[in-house]
Formats: sequence, C-alpha cells, structure tokens
Amino acid sequence: MKKPSPTTALTCALALSAALALTACSGPGPATNATPDGPATISILDWFSGDIDHEATQKVFDRCADAAGVKLDRQSIDGANLVQRVLQQASTKTLPDILMIDHTDVPQIAAMGALRPLTDADISSEGYADGVVSSGMYQNKLYGLIPNTATLSLFVNNALLKEAGVTAPKTWDELKSTAAALTHDGQYGLGFSAVADFQATWQFLPFFWTNGADETDITSPEAVEALQLLTDLLKAGSVSNSVLNWTSGDVREQFVAGKAAMIVDGPWDIPVVKSEAPDLDWSIVLIPTKNASDTSVAPLGGEAWTLPATSADPAHQAKAGEVLKCFLGDDSQISMGVARATIPGKTTLKDEYLKQMPDMATFAQQVANARSRTAKLGVDWPKTATALYQAEQLALTGQMDPADALKSEAANLG
Amino acid sequence: MTRTRTRQWLHTVVGVIILAVMLFPIYWMVNVSLQPASTMLEADWFPFTPNLSGYITAFHDQWGHLLTSLFVSLGAVVICLVIATPAAYALAHFKLPGSTAATFAIIVSQMIPAVVVANALYPTYNDTGILDNYIGLMLADASLGLPFSILIIRAFMASVSPSLVEAGYVDGASKLRVFWSIVVPIARNSIITGGLFTFLFAWSDFLLSSTLAGKSVRPVTLGVYQYITSYVTDWSTVMATAVLASLPALVLLVIAQRFIAAGITGGATKA
Amino acid sequence: MADGIAVSVPASRPALTRPHRRIRDTWSKSLFLLPAILFVIAFFAYPVIKNLVMGFQSYTTASFYTGESPFIGLANYARVISQPLFLKALANTLLFTAGSLLGQFVIGMGLALFFHRHFPLSNLLRSLLLLPWLLPLMVSSTSWKLILDKDSGVINQILESTGLAGVSWLTSPSVALTAVVIVNIWIGIPFNVAILYGGLQDIPEDLYEAASLDGATGIRAFAHVTWPLLRPVVTVLLVLGVVYTLKVVDIIIGLTSGGPANATQTIATWSYQTSFISFNFGEGAALSNILIIISLVFALLYLRVSRRGVDE
Repeated sequence: MKKPSPTTALTCALALSAALALTACSGPGPATNATPDGPATISILDWFSGDIDHEATQKVFDRCADAAGVKLDRQSIDGANLVQRVLQQASTKTLPDILMIDHTDVPQIAAMGALRPLTDADISSEGYADGVVSSGMYQNKLYGLIPNTATLSLFVNNALLKEAGVTAPKTWDELKSTAAALTHDGQYGLGFSAVADFQATWQFLPFFWTNGADETDITSPEAVEALQLLTDLLKAGSVSNSVLNWTSGDVREQFVAGKAAMIVDGPWDIPVVKSEAPDLDWSIVLIPTKNASDTSVAPLGGEAWTLPATSADPAHQAKAGEVLKCFLGDDSQISMGVARATIPGKTTLKDEYLKQMPDMATFAQQVANARSRTAKLGVDWPKTATALYQAEQLALTGQMDPADALKSEAANLG
Repeated sequence: MTRTRTRQWLHTVVGVIILAVMLFPIYWMVNVSLQPASTMLEADWFPFTPNLSGYITAFHDQWGHLLTSLFVSLGAVVICLVIATPAAYALAHFKLPGSTAATFAIIVSQMIPAVVVANALYPTYNDTGILDNYIGLMLADASLGLPFSILIIRAFMASVSPSLVEAGYVDGASKLRVFWSIVVPIARNSIITGGLFTFLFAWSDFLLSSTLAGKSVRPVTLGVYQYITSYVTDWSTVMATAVLASLPALVLLVIAQRFIAAGITGGATKA
Repeated sequence: MADGIAVSVPASRPALTRPHRRIRDTWSKSLFLLPAILFVIAFFAYPVIKNLVMGFQSYTTASFYTGESPFIGLANYARVISQPLFLKALANTLLFTAGSLLGQFVIGMGLALFFHRHFPLSNLLRSLLLLPWLLPLMVSSTSWKLILDKDSGVINQILESTGLAGVSWLTSPSVALTAVVIVNIWIGIPFNVAILYGGLQDIPEDLYEAASLDGATGIRAFAHVTWPLLRPVVTVLLVLGVVYTLKVVDIIIGLTSGGPANATQTIATWSYQTSFISFNFGEGAALSNILIIISLVFALLYLRVSRRGVDE
C-alpha cells in the first residue's frame, strides 16, 4: 500500500474541513420571532415526541394557527429531558412562546418568574376540575391549565374474578381478601408500581389521600395505615415483590398477560389493553376506600400548558395567547382526549366526552374528585414525593415497618 | 496438521458458545421485537412466527435518522483523530513542559458527569449559533472520544521504540514527516481503536444529541422516541429500531477490526 | 540502521543560534498538542469550574432564570455528608466500581487472549462481541429487566427448571447490587476486549518465540512477555475504567432507579436525582464533586505509574 505524502494528507484534511464548514451553515438556529413582514411565528415546546400524542395535538395546533393567522415552530423532545431543556432555555432567555410542562412542575417554573398569568391572555379556569385549577395556581395567579387529565383507578380481570368466585372490592378489607383469593400458581391478586421514582408515589397517593392522610405530614396515623395496607398485601403474598421494580407499563403488561388479576392503572392504558388483549373480559372500578362510605380520592395527572414571558412585543404575546386559548378550547379537549385516551380537564365536557368514550365513565368520575399533588406544597413537593416512595420501598422490602419508615424519611425532609 | 486444524475448530466452537452467552440479552431483545407486544412477558424462546411489522415501521421512519447518525459519527471520528493523534504523539515522545499537566487535565475532563457537560455547553452553543447543527453535534460527539483516544493512542505510542523515531530525524525529516511516515503506521492499531470507540460513543450518544440538537439534526437515538408516548412505549418497534441502528455500526466495526493487524515483525505491516 | 550515524545538514538551512533553535523546536512540538488542549479547555473547562462553584452555592430552578445563586460555603457538602444515605451510597459506589472493573477486566483479558490466536471465524466473532456496546442503554436495560424478572424472567425459569428457587434479582436489597454489577460487567466487556486485543496484537511474535526457546510458555510467557508489554495499555484501561464506572447512571436507573430502598443507589445516581428530579443543583453538584475527588485519587496514581513507564 503506497503511503500518501504529508502534503496530500494535508490537502485532504483541508478539503474535508471545508466540506464540514459548509455544513455548518446549514441548520437553523433557535426559533426566531416575527419577520418584519409576514405572519408571526409562534414557538412551542412539549414532550409529545410519540406519534399518537404528537399527531393529536398537532391537528389542533394547526387549526388554531390558521385561525390566528400565525405560523408555528414546534419542537417535541423526549420526556426525560424536558425540564432540563426548559431550564437551559430559561437561562439563555430563549423560552418558547407556548410551553408544556408536567403540571407538578408549574410551581417551580412559575416561581422563577418565567411565566405570565393565563388570565392576561383572557384564558379562564371556568369549568375545569378543582384539582386542575389548584395545580395551575401559584401565589394566587393561574399559570397553567391541563386540557387532558388522567388519574388512577382499578382495572379488574372479570374472568379471573368469576373463576375465584369474588367480586370487585370496594373496601380495603375486601381488597385484601379478594386479592388473596386471586393469588395462586403464577398469578397475583394485585399489581401496582412501587419502583424507586415518582411512579411509586403516584400510585400510593390514592390509598394515602383516601384514608385522610395529607402530604404536609407524612407520619400521621392515616399515612401509616395506608402504607400498612400495601405492606400487608405484599407480606400475605397477594402482591409480587417485583412491584419494587415495575413501572406502570410493566404493571399493565402483567395484567394483559393475566399474571395480575387487579392492577392500579390509568385511562391511557385502556386502548393498549384492548389492542394487546382483545378477548380479555375486564372492567374498571374506583380504587377501594378504607370504609365503604369514604370518597375515593386519586391524584391528578396531566400536562399543563403555560405562556412564558418571552417576547416584549405585546402583539406577539397576544398571538401566542390566542393560539393557546384556541388549543384549550372545548372541541380540542374532546378530540385530543379521544385520541390520547385521557379525560378533558373541563368537567363540563364530561357528558359529551363520554358519548364518544363510554369506557371512561369511572375515570371521568375519579377526575372530578382528583387532587393536585402540588396544591399544598408547591415547590416543596418533589422532596416529599421522594420521601414517600423511599418510605414505601423501605416498608415493602421489610427493612422497616411502615411507621418507622415514614418517620425516618420525614426526618430527612427537614 | 489435521490435529491443529481440529484444535482450531474447537476454538471456534468455544468462541461461538462464549458469544451465545454474551449475546443472549441481545438475542432476547431481537426475539421480543419479532413477536407481538402483548407477549413481552411470555415470549417464546424462538420467534416461530416472526412479525416484521415493527421492523418495517422502523425502517420506514428511521432511515433518514440512520444516515444522520452515520454522518455525524463519521465526522466526529475525523475531528477526533485529527486532533488526538498528534497530541498523543507529543505526550508520548516529546518531553514538553506541562505534558503531565495536560495528561492530568485530559483525565480530569472525563470525570465530569455527561449531563453536566451537556448542560454547560448549551449556553455556549446557543450564543455561537451552532445549536441543532451538524458541525456543532460533530464537535460535541468528538469530545466524547477525544480524551479517551489521546490516552489510548499515547499508551500505544509510548511503546514505540524511540530509536525508530530518532532514525527519522537523523535522516533530516521534519517532525511532521516523522510523525506521518513512521509513527502513525506503527500506531495504526491504536488509532483505529480510538476511532472505533469514538464512533461507538458518537453513534450511541443520546444526551448530547438531545441537549444540543434534535430538530433538524436528529440521529436515530432521538428518532426512537417516536414510539414512546407520555405513557406507553411500543417496545417491539423500539427494539426493531435499535437492531436496525446497530447494523450499519456493526458493518463498520467488522471492517475496522480487520485493520487491527498482527504485530510488528521486522517493519512489515499488513495492507 | 539506527546507530546514530550523523548526516550533514543541507547548507540551505539558515544557521540558527542554539536558544532560538530550542524555542522553535519547543514551539513546533507544542503545535502537535495545542489543538487538543484548546479543544479540551473549550469543552470541559467551563463545566468543571461551573460544577465546582455550584457545589458552594444555593442553586435552584430560579437560579437558571434570575442568575442568582447565593454563596453558602460548605453547607451543601455538610448536608449531603450528614445524611444516612451518604455512607450507603459511598459503599455502593465503591462496591459497584470494584466489582465491575474486576469482572470486566478479568473476563475481557481472558477473551482477548482467547481471540488472540487465529481460528476460523475469529474476526467475525470478535466483532460481534462488540454488539452489547452498540445498543442504546435504554434497550439493554429493558432487555435485562425482562430477563431478570423474578416471576417471568428467563434466568429464573432456567433456575426453576433445574429445581433451584428463583431469585429476586432486582427487587431484593441484598441481591440487587450484585445483579446491577453483573449487567455492568456485561456492558463493559466489549470495551476491555477490544482494547486489550489491540494491545496483544502489538506484541511482536518473535518475542514469544524467543521466550519459548528459553522454556517459557503459557502462563510464564504471559507473565514475562505479555504482561510487561501490555502494562501501559492496562493502566489506561483501569484508570479510565474507574473514572467511567464511577460516573455510571443510566444503567442503574434503567434497571432499578437506585432501589430497592437505595440498595443500588450510588453517589452518581444520587447526584443525578438530587439535581434533575429534586431540582437541588447545589447539593447535586456537591455530590458529583465528591465523586470527582475520588476519581482524582486514581488519576494521580495513574500519572505516577505511567510516568515511571515512560522513563523506563
């Protein structure tokens, strides 16, 4: 093999650098605002990188952009990195005109001073579920609203229940006995997610809140009882200790495969279960309460849409507000709710929505009572959420009993 | 002669067994990707009725992203090797003041969590306008492999006998000529290894691509998120994408591995 | 050939004075190193310094927007070290790193030696070994989670079919760390094999022939020929191995999220969660700085060892 001379090599390297330099000129920079003449461009950031979510929301955005006479520049990134991207953009002052964030992050972002109140854009919270309104508030101003909400209920496998001769449980005692009856060779009575992140907290909250416990004091007797319930279920063998590692998706798979007769899950999984197990006979019931007379309280889930205080140009801000107002409109909530299997944030739309999605009846009911996680603790919620799942893991692994686990985690909070 | 041949084939058999054990999780992933999503937990040991829909979807959606990944990764390798090889040579053979400090700095650079680096680069990239840009991502991905390449090439070059190098100087050649004509060919294995790993780092990079690019420059590591909605992941298509994404890289690796030739015997090198 | 026979310098070269020549010599030598140094500074200096400073500040989400991050001295470090999780995370970090490196290196070396002799298909097999490295970590960790599942995972199915009890690989606090180490070893083997193989290929065959003439084969040949010549490569591999393994976050989070009950929580994963999930960037930076200090110890050791090597 003839070795090229140094000069040839240098020439090649220079040519390559030139080619690379040319590509440097390609690719647009960060989204810009309006060109002097022509429609304004409204920038949007969200985490709907998945096809289904993206298309459902894009349809609505396109319609709203046409109505407002603007162009859109939308970026949908993967969920895990959204908050980091928001922080990066906050520090470089390049936040988009319309921003979607998980509603539990609204207090954090609002506290930064990066958002403007939705009411400035003539967007009102009228008709929305209480939980939605309280989750979007920070210091008494409304910063975010959730057009598509989710919550948790209990999925039950009717065939397996019939086989064991039991009915869907309504109280905690019934839950324990039903789960025990449903546990035998390769099948567990109950499944839920207790993996070491906020998913565990999310699935623990229905039991926690329904029993009257409050996130401001996680060592209360009511909190201990709720954790004791889950621990007892695991100790009795009705729940597999694999729950410690199951994500909510894993839990659904267990249900689809018939390995967990009852699971805690949300409305977004209804189409998935239907497509993966079309012959499964199953139904959805409210999460059991301690006493028959208690109300089942579940946590509110969903993405909040906000208006960052980006442009100094009031006309531009007005356009962004107009697009968002249209996006949050009644028709959009229903169309997106149908496509994404989530519940419209406005309870006033319930009847019309249920006409198209009758399976969602239980969830629609649960959403009306759903509670916001950040309503009381605001920016301090993540710490408590962490304490809750750590305590749950300590109790479920048998390393501490529920009371001690909650106490030790609460001590770390200080 | 037959005995040695048999022994050789015995090695092959053992090699295949070792590979089977090592690659079992990958086999499992391919297996799952060929079966419908609902059977993820109870997948058969072998995909008796392979379901290629995930692969068709993945190929249809991702081939553009695969090309982007390829382009960016190769660019990163070129940038990295052009900078790393002379630097490694200098650190190995020139007794420059500050060599130790430089080596130390290079190692320290590897200690920072990747996410911290990505976040720190964002404002700079934003200000210089190379966000979401091929050159920007190539440079960032080159940084993944540069410190490593410098260190590994330096280690190899350190074992090149100084007398070989001296001979070049004595003949009146410039440093560049000695470097290019004598040292680089001898250190070829390490350079290829450095390039290989830079390619792998760049190819599988998610963090830098997600932070510093993502819209116009979208490698396959980001493309896979089309199949991951807020709540549900379409695992069979995701895994199909991962398999498809591995193939071009694998082909390149097999080719590159050929070049890691046998050792130096009297100055002859295999073509 | 290389006996130092002087060759006269062509007359066309201008006569340089000795100090000038030395400066020009140093300058042209530095040019080899300069691009790399500039690159490393441009890409890494700012993150290192920023992280260092952040450890001493109260840095929250608001700081990103307002730019205000009050200096609070060692408060972050004090807070982090005083938590009961600290010692546990530190122990996990050291066990995880030591276990991973040991496994990866020993198995990697074994495989590199195995593939060193050529046999049919050895090239192809060796290249296929790199596959674990080609896959996105998200996919590898999902695959392993399925395989290690207590109830339906393949490994337990195999164990149970031979009469042994299934193990709670990822959900038992006593086993989880071992399971995660095993997966990390699996991921790290290709890296080690590729580098060690390259190093082995660079050792001239005639050295082995000479050694066997002296009666040194097998293990003795390894000890007297292979190991000494591989040392520079091994040293780099081990140091970089330590530095990279200390930083590992994705695979642990993918497998167990640091659980169950912090059984697999390392300083790196804890730092990540503190910064990006609890938004306490000051404490997260303090934790990653502690990790950097641990890495520095190994880096200094490496410099000591490699400097000796260059002088040899």
